[in-house]
Formats: sequence, C-alpha cells, structure tokens
Amino acid sequence: MITKKEVEKIAELARLGINEDEKEKCVGDLSSVIGYVQKLSEVNVEKVEPITGGTSLESVTRKDDETKDIADDEMKADILNGAPDKENGYFKVPSILK
Amino acid sequence: MNLKELTIKKAHDLLRKKEITSVELVEAHFDEIKKHDGDIRAFLSLNEEQALEQAKKVDERISKGEPIEMLAGIPAAIKDNILIRGGKTTAASKILENYIAPYDATVIKKLKEEEAVFIGKTNLDEFAMGSSTENSSFGATKNPVDLERVPGGSSGGSAAAVKAGFCVYALGSDTGGSIRQPAGFCGVVGFKPTYGAVSRHGLIAMASSLDQIGPLTKNVEDAALVFEAIRGEDELDSTSVQREWPARNASRSEAGGEDFSEPIDIEEVKIGVPREFFTHGLDPEIEKNIKAVITKLGKEGAKIKEISLPHSDWALATYYIIMPAEASANLARYDGMKYGYSKISNLSPRSSFGGAGKSQISNLLEIYLKSRGEGFGDEVRRRIMLGTYILSAGYYDAYYKRAQKVRRLIKQDFDRVFSKSAGNIDVILTPTTPSTAFKFGEKISDPLSMYLADIYTVSVNLAGVPAVSLPCGEVSGLPAGLQLIGKNFDDIKLLKIAKFAETLIKSHEI
Repeated sequence: MITKKEVEKIAELARLGINEDEKEKCVGDLSSVIGYVQKLSEVNVEKVEPITGGTSLESVTRKDDETKDIADDEMKADILNGAPDKENGYFKVPSILK
Repeated sequence: MNLKELTIKKAHDLLRKKEITSVELVEAHFDEIKKHDGDIRAFLSLNEEQALEQAKKVDERISKGEPIEMLAGIPAAIKDNILIRGGKTTAASKILENYIAPYDATVIKKLKEEEAVFIGKTNLDEFAMGSSTENSSFGATKNPVDLERVPGGSSGGSAAAVKAGFCVYALGSDTGGSIRQPAGFCGVVGFKPTYGAVSRHGLIAMASSLDQIGPLTKNVEDAALVFEAIRGEDELDSTSVQREWPARNASRSEAGGEDFSEPIDIEEVKIGVPREFFTHGLDPEIEKNIKAVITKLGKEGAKIKEISLPHSDWALATYYIIMPAEASANLARYDGMKYGYSKISNLSPRSSFGGAGKSQISNLLEIYLKSRGEGFGDEVRRRIMLGTYILSAGYYDAYYKRAQKVRRLIKQDFDRVFSKSAGNIDVILTPTTPSTAFKFGEKISDPLSMYLADIYTVSVNLAGVPAVSLPCGEVSGLPAGLQLIGKNFDDIKLLKIAKFAETLIKSHEI
C-alpha cells in the first residue's frame, strides 16, 4: 500500500536517514498500520466538527516577558553546555546559505 | 519491614513516630535495588548520594520536632522522561543518552517542596512509545512477578520498581495507557488524572493533546496522596487548568470540592459497564475476575448498568493517527543543533570543495539525517514517519482531520454516559488490558499486535477523562487489572470509588 518510493520521500521530509534494509521493513510496517487506521472510513463523520483536544480548552495568553527561569544565568549556562557546538553564549550551527 | 508492602501513609507514620529515619528508609530501598535490580533492571540511573542528603535533611527536621509533609523523606522513583535538574534525562533514547536536564519539571518542583526523596530514574520504551519497555535503547525491564515477561509499558520501569519494593511510589506518564497498562501487568495501582489537572512542563513531550503525568503506587490511597501533591495550574503548561481543589486534609466544609478522606456512599454510586470493552479477545479468566467484582459491587448496593460507548471500536485507529501526527511534530526538535546526539562535529569545513574524509558530512541536511537516523530507535522512527505521512499534503483530510472528527464522537460517547440528563453514570468499569503480561519477543516484531495491548486504555486519553487501574486478582499467577474511568475533574470521586473496589477485591480474595 505504501511504496518504497513513498517511504524514501517521507523519511526525507522527516529528516531521518534510513538504509536500504530499513526501507524494505518500513514498507511492510507502515503499510500494515495505515491499513489498520483506514478502519476510520467506516465511521460517518458528516456534520461532525474536528476536535483538537480531549478537554474543552480555551486559548490562554501570557505576558511576553522573560520568565524568571529564562533569566537564570546558571540555567542559561547549563542549557548551552548541552549544545554540541556553541560560541559567545549562542548555539553555533552550520551556515545554511552557500 | 516488608518494603514491597510499604505505603506512603505507613512510611509517613513510621517517620513521624520516629520508628524509622528517612536515611534508614532510603538505605533499605537501595539495598533492595542492589540485590534485585540486576535481574529486573527497572532503573536507568540511581541517585544515592543526593537521596541520602535529602533524607538527612528530613531527619533533622523530624528530630527537631518540626511537622513534615506527607511525602517528606519518602523514596520515589521517576520515569526517565521527566526532568530533574542536574541529572541525566534520557527518555530511554540514544539521542538523549548524555542529556543533563537544565531545569525541574513542575511535578518535580512540587515534590521537592514536599521534601520527597528521588532515588532514581526508571526505564521506559524510547520516548514513551511502546507497551513493553522492549523499545528502550538501554535494554528492557523485566516483570518482577515473572522475569520471563514484560512489565508493560511505557512506564514499565516505574511499575516494576513499585512492585519490587525499590521505591514507595513512582511517577509515570500516560499517553494511551502507559501508566495503567504496566500497572495492570505488574499488579500495582496506576492513575492517569484528567487532562489538564497536572502540569506537563518538564515532561518530554510525545503527543501533547494526550500526554498526562500520574502516579504508580501500592494502593489507591497513595495515588490520591501523590495526585494531591502534583496537581494544579501552571503558567508553564498552557493546557493546565485552574480548579478549586480542596486543600490537603481540609475538612469538608472548607473544601472547594471532593475530599478523599471522606468515604464514598456506595449506594449512591452508579457504575456503567460498557459492552464494547468485553470483546477484542478478552481473556475469559480476566473477564471472570472483573465480573466477580461487578457482582460484589452490586451486592454492596452500587447500581450497575450496562452501557454502550459505540465508537470504542474506532478508538485505537483514531489514536494511531493522532498520536504519531503529534509525535512527529514534537520530535522535530531533536535536530542535532541545540542538544542531544549530533553529527555536527563531523561537518567538514571545506566539504563543498570535495575535501571531505570518509566520516565527514558535507551539509546541514546530512547532519539532520544522520543525527536523527542514528539517534532514534526503530519504533520512534516508525511513528515519526507515520505522522509525517498522515500530515503530508493530500493525506491530511483523509487521515488527520477524519481522526479529529471521530475523536469528537468518542468524547461525546463519554459525555453522554456521564451527563446527568442521559446516562448519569459516576464511573465506567472495564478491564485494563485484554490479556495478562506477555513474554519478551512475543509482539515486538509485529507493531500492530503490540498496539492492540492498549485497546482498552486509549479512548480515555482521547476523551481526556481520568482513569485508574487497580489489581484485580490473578490469572495463572499473573496480575489482572481493573480500570475505572471517571468524569473530567472528578478525579477524587473516581479514586474514592476505586478505594471501595480495592477493599472489596482484597477482602474477597478475587
């Protein structure tokens, strides 16, 4: 149902590197799950509005200011220490423009 | 002291009466861990030094005659997808193998205010995706009841740790049954609170419209005690809800809601038994145990009513669209740039001129592909791909939007049953799982058969309602689980009814 070509496309969209053997396995695994969830076509959903969560939540807002946590210098240092590459208090990432 | 049966209430009383110190309590649990966790492997990391330090602080307060909180000095285990500042939090994934949490989850902050003692972080299926802990990147946990069997998942390490007496209680997370199913498999109590009742700030997100943190404990009362400590609105989780919860140990008159210590009048309780939950290959022996409890509850005066939740048959399919869709979006953050496993250092600075060595990477896209491809395990990659497929152009309406519509119908089923004008049911009673704990390897090669282990638990998360699993006798020596489902924010009432059922089950040796 899902082809190898589709698996390749999805993997690239999802930024997941997968090798040839894994592609074959993914074809089978994803097809079986997609086959199962197609069960939902049995349900009559005419005039039903989609729901985005389990409880009736209302949108909330908060002030756009630095919370105490983000302003915590020690935490800032801890966060940066977890980064694979950093410079002058910033994450360092490769250039995206050549 | 039998650690396997030591509850929060009992430990608290022993501490208060100075019959034991917190240090002794913590040491006893570490002894047990050292003796048996080599076989069970419930923990991914232990925190002995800090645990003892914290215990000493509590002991000093007790010796000075100061009052202590209910959870003070009592050893707890925490699922390793919940952040404790300064310690490793791996989500059982290679991609976070060396991640040190830079802040405390809100539930941890609250437990620290109670002076709880954290003894270690427990194993789980990678990113909480699974029903057996076999998807952990660091090896599976074994069921303390039978070492050849899985403890369930994804909070399998937490359930096993509680069952084995490695901790007095544990925290887990539940997206489709990940607290209740392992509680059922290991024979402990597992409680998933109402969506929005407990802050998820500092919980590593899987599917944000479904995830909820909750306790795994040795009895229902302990589940209520932990819930009372961790619930509440949090500005760092915009889905957490402000409620007038009654103050701890408040008398009925000053309480803004239900108080757990007031026992329930069972004759006022109406229990719904949904016929759709007694199919799907339910083990007839589990069914016998569940039916025996229903009969006993009826004899005690509860009103039992057969009900229908007509869209239950589509809950699992709905779940396996919504969950991977949200998970694929949530896990996009693991990009090898800010934290976690990264191939960034393999980037060749002059690669575009063809000067790269064998292990070198030539561009940004390759960093993403390799960091994520190598960092995530099979099931996580499977769900990310599923979610990406479901949300991709041309499929969104057919899968995701349709699933959101069916989710509304599933929620409406629950609303109808609980509404005063229609069903007027107080709790819904079902089995927790269709079978008891299965053997290692039995389902791991077929993802769909593994997913079916959640058939009775997923609709609860889709509807956002609270539910608790409690031990309900044994089948061939393995624990069976009974699930009670309540109305939104009726968590305390649900637990009171669960406590009644628990007493009944224990006294009749079901």
